[in-house]
Amino acid sequence: MTDRSIYLDYAASTPVDGRVWERMREVSELTCANPSSTHAAGRLAQEIIATSTGQLAALLNARADRLVMTSGATESDNLAIAGGARYRAHRGRHLVSMRTEHKAVTDVFEILAKEGFDVTWVDPAANGVLDPAVFEAALRDDTQLASIMFVNNETGVVQDIEALGAICRERDILMHVDAAQAVGKVHIDLATLPVDLMSITAHKFYGPKGVGALYIADRPGCHVEPILYGGGQQRRIRPGTMSTEMIAALGTTASIAAERIDDDLAHLRSMRKALWDGIAGIDGLTLNGDPDGFPGILNVSVAGVEGESLLLALEPLLVATGSACNSKTQEPSYVLRALGRSDAEAQSAIRFSFGRATTLDEVEFAAARYRDAVARLRALAPGAAA
Amino acid sequence: MNPYSVRVREYFAEAAHAGDVAGGVSVLVDEQDVCLQFSASAEGDRVGAMRFRARACPHVIAAAEAACAALEGRPAADLIEFSARDLMDNLSVPVEKTGRILVLEDAIRALGQQVATDTGP
Repeated sequence: MTDRSIYLDYAASTPVDGRVWERMREVSELTCANPSSTHAAGRLAQEIIATSTGQLAALLNARADRLVMTSGATESDNLAIAGGARYRAHRGRHLVSMRTEHKAVTDVFEILAKEGFDVTWVDPAANGVLDPAVFEAALRDDTQLASIMFVNNETGVVQDIEALGAICRERDILMHVDAAQAVGKVHIDLATLPVDLMSITAHKFYGPKGVGALYIADRPGCHVEPILYGGGQQRRIRPGTMSTEMIAALGTTASIAAERIDDDLAHLRSMRKALWDGIAGIDGLTLNGDPDGFPGILNVSVAGVEGESLLLALEPLLVATGSACNSKTQEPSYVLRALGRSDAEAQSAIRFSFGRATTLDEVEFAAARYRDAVARLRALAPGAAA
Repeated sequence: MNPYSVRVREYFAEAAHAGDVAGGVSVLVDEQDVCLQFSASAEGDRVGAMRFRARACPHVIAAAEAACAALEGRPAADLIEFSARDLMDNLSVPVEKTGRILVLEDAIRALGQQVATDTGP
């Protein structure tokens, strides 16, 4: 098993399901037309897009006409937050988000702050969960938009979106949810969940990179200004030629997820438990996050070990020290720092994330590798017994 | 881009000079995310055994291993005049790790001072 790498980085990206590749190939052979064209080939492309959007809508129990197709979650987050805040700016300029959000969210708020919006950052508890009372206390009469992620990409912490969304609905505040790590992995019912804007991406649940969607609820005052211009596609909310193949891929991805979601969750729970059981006995080990979080992610820190060396010593495991977007920096994870971890604790953090193809053998090997790597690096450190 | 050269991977994996020199002199530094200890014994005017311990990134561990391997048997004065420039080139250490490698350089020079003091007239 040591001759090949073991992929435990499914929170960064997942392999594309073979049926999704097949659907993309099939669609590309069926029509090359622009779906905005009115001729027969263009109409076929439109039909494929409508069918595919319907598949995604079915997964979320949402109306298909409330889904805007995008290039992925980063674009969806930008469109939802910047577009929503600017659309409601005449009502007020106060915005709320959480310190453990993805950069695709936090950076947009930083831009909006430079435009004169007032942003309040709320802190989660030490387990990463945001207390709805803390959230509510941050809201003001002029608050227009809040953004809280569903499943945290680093820790797997799951927020109580139902409670947070209900608070926003009572005050007519736009509630945006970055659901990049949740869609297709946990049950989401947008017919009942009080969410106004939800970001979706295909490549986190076995679809290709480069396609996603933004859900926009159908209620008064819930709208976004475009952040792209040029063309009337998608009600001018997101202009640009729609990619028939990529949207078909997203639809098929959603359809497969709808069938598998319960089996996938059961599998992930068993993988996470097996890894935790294999490493929990290590002295100085800390779970980063909530024991009841999303089972596809296990994030741990360990005392007395340098994180970069730990990552190299763990090879052939393919894991992450933080979010993939931050992994090239030397800075300790700001998400883990927001949970109260020290720089050293955050710097030693390893995120294991599991997927459909993860096997028990792989997880048991990973646990053994982690134990060995920690022991070796501790033995190498100053002060260790000779 | 692979952040580690083949040599860094080899030295990191082997770390044949990890440990302590019993009865030797030693220095310990802890700064810039580098906790590093060198110890050495002198054989006449030359470095006898040289060992290291580290809680640091792979580049520093590899550099410490390479330095120990290179300096054993060398004149003890080489410790005081040690420059990490060749190490950085040979190991392809990225420029953002320069500060950490300079911590290692300072530690080896300090070790040289200790050896000189210990073996001096």
